Amino acid sequence: MSRRIPWTLVVLLLALTIPWFGSRYYTFLATQIAILSLFAVSYNLLLGTTGLVSFGHAAYFGLGAYATGLLMKELNVPFLLALLAGGLLPAAFAGVFGYFCVRLTKIYFSMLTLAFAQIVWAICFQWNEVTGGDQGISAIPYPELGWIGAIPGLGGFRTGDHFYFACVVLVILCIWVLGRITDSPFGRLLTTIRENPERASFIGVDVRRYELAAFAIAGGFAGVSGALFGIFNRGVFADFMFWPKSAEVLIMTILGGMNYFWGPVAGTIMMVVLNQQITSYTEYWPLVLGTILLVLLFAFPGGLMGALDAGAKRLRGQKTGGGDA
Amino acid sequence: MRRRTLLASAAASAAILPGRARAANEIKIGMPMALSGPGALYGQPITKGAEMCVAEINAAGGLLGRKLILLPRDSKGNADESVRVSRELILKDNVDFIVGSFTSAESPAVSTIAKENKVLMVAPTAKTIQLTSPANLHPYIFRTASTTDIEGRTAATLMAKWDVKRVATIAPDYAYGRDIMEAFSVLLKKLKPGVEIVDQQWPKLGQADFAPFITAQMSKQPDAVFGAVFAGDFASLVKQAKPLGYFDKIGNRYIGAGETGSIEMTRSLGTDYPVGIVANTYDPVIWPDAPEVHKKFTAAIKTHLKDDYGSSWAIMGYAGVQALAAGIKKAATIDADKVSKAMIGLTFETPIGPQIIRGKDQSANRGQFWGKLVRTAAHPFPVFEKVEYTDPTPFMD
Repeated sequence: MSRRIPWTLVVLLLALTIPWFGSRYYTFLATQIAILSLFAVSYNLLLGTTGLVSFGHAAYFGLGAYATGLLMKELNVPFLLALLAGGLLPAAFAGVFGYFCVRLTKIYFSMLTLAFAQIVWAICFQWNEVTGGDQGISAIPYPELGWIGAIPGLGGFRTGDHFYFACVVLVILCIWVLGRITDSPFGRLLTTIRENPERASFIGVDVRRYELAAFAIAGGFAGVSGALFGIFNRGVFADFMFWPKSAEVLIMTILGGMNYFWGPVAGTIMMVVLNQQITSYTEYWPLVLGTILLVLLFAFPGGLMGALDAGAKRLRGQKTGGGDA
Repeated sequence: MRRRTLLASAAASAAILPGRARAANEIKIGMPMALSGPGALYGQPITKGAEMCVAEINAAGGLLGRKLILLPRDSKGNADESVRVSRELILKDNVDFIVGSFTSAESPAVSTIAKENKVLMVAPTAKTIQLTSPANLHPYIFRTASTTDIEGRTAATLMAKWDVKRVATIAPDYAYGRDIMEAFSVLLKKLKPGVEIVDQQWPKLGQADFAPFITAQMSKQPDAVFGAVFAGDFASLVKQAKPLGYFDKIGNRYIGAGETGSIEMTRSLGTDYPVGIVANTYDPVIWPDAPEVHKKFTAAIKTHLKDDYGSSWAIMGYAGVQALAAGIKKAATIDADKVSKAMIGLTFETPIGPQIIRGKDQSANRGQFWGKLVRTAAHPFPVFEKVEYTDPTPFMD
């Protein structure tokens, strides 16, 4: 991971080429990957950077989706404003829940994040008047993105492609911000906390406050990704915040490599493609998916990025080492 | 190393290539259906029924000279996943039509996708009236299932025949349960003004503990109960109601909607089944007065399912494909708009006789079989004492 290559820009440019392939399916898959990548990268601010294992990250994803979906559908709020709300509301919730969660450590922290997420899920599942309960909210309007077609060279694209362009730009922007946060002195302190929380508090770091800040930021960005996903999915459902979604983001992050900033993105690509492929070939998808994940996790303990990194180092004739954050 | 990486990435990209453009000699039907999780007990036979219908049509030379291809996908019984696989079927597999999605929560969501992509969809089992209400209706949604209006109102007429004053209800707390209770109470009050709804319980879908709901309901001392608790939830309700004496207290005056009289349900509950209650089903399977076409269907589906008793649900997948096939045949094209026009007012054959899709809500006049369940020496599980198909026409508006 050379520092001189502007990875964010490279990924942005690569991602923007997808609609030129002309396949609606590619754009569909790429949109899903882009949105869920942000979810996974936001999660990695907790897992990889701060060393906090949250089992309830899906709650913030879902809250963002509901907030934006309801604002756009019921109140006709403009897209960007609704999206902003979809980030701020979950961040606020994460701030409140996190206040209690960071008081606990290790497995107790994880359990409390799960408990809060399940409470939020149960409320959304039962509150028929507002969230539509089990039935969710469908037919969320697409944002007005016709102006993208007016940009020279982008004339011939479909609504789905326009939405994809908007998603990629927004997601990359968010990922860039998360990258800046990770590399900032604040981010370095989070890593210090991950490595040795006692030592961090000895040198005068208010560990809980830093953890809480990371929790709220991660929650906010998860909310943005949920907001985009709700629009992309054409509907918001209580399943967005059910615990398997939290497990999914955990798996994506570990699979890609939690010690690498772009690891979760690699994990998301892997997971989305695997899920799409396997479910269309066999009804025994859970068995196949589970087996593949098992093999991957054993074969690449550092995740996909870890394996790539090791491979690249071997090519350059260097010794294989651990990843840098 | 580099070569291997190259090979691997080539293999990976080959794997995500979209399916070939549609072949001119095929008609592809996508079928999102619950094939895992609690809904699979019904989703599996529905898929098998559709499969059998497709096989029969192909054996008879196909449709418009083309072969039908059914692509079933696991919707896991949830709306989110249903939407995902439906879009995948449309975008990647280029399906021409969709027959499917299982629950009343999934189908409205998939209907949005059908509308956006202009792919005609037949909902074979979703009953919520919202699916085809004027606000949600569009040219690409058709229903061959019964509806919450038909089911609730039929139950109300059955209830009105009983000499009861205090009626209670119990239904799952979501679209299906709420819509059916609305239909039921409105008609019951009209038919029998003296009747009072003394209690309404709303357990959530997938409720594990029914005891609090049961005891709360019993304390209101109802004479009879109308329940729309279905599938695994009905099994939980029955098992927990027994020690509390729930069914005894109301003298088995329980009307159970939600296909609680299906052969899947009676077989899985066996001797635990509260005999004496009135329940409904899409297909009684064991039906002495069955018409010839039904007898033939039952024999075929038993072989196809490799099951001695068959299924009460397979008929829904089967008839869903029958309706679509009839529409395609009448339109003589697979153009979605033309098939949609052809399907309005269409009469199509089903194993229980011809049905009509009316224009108003693009739904078939599908009623259900209702009757009292009793134990007999012939079968190890309860069967209908006398089963009757109720004509849904008076209940559709």
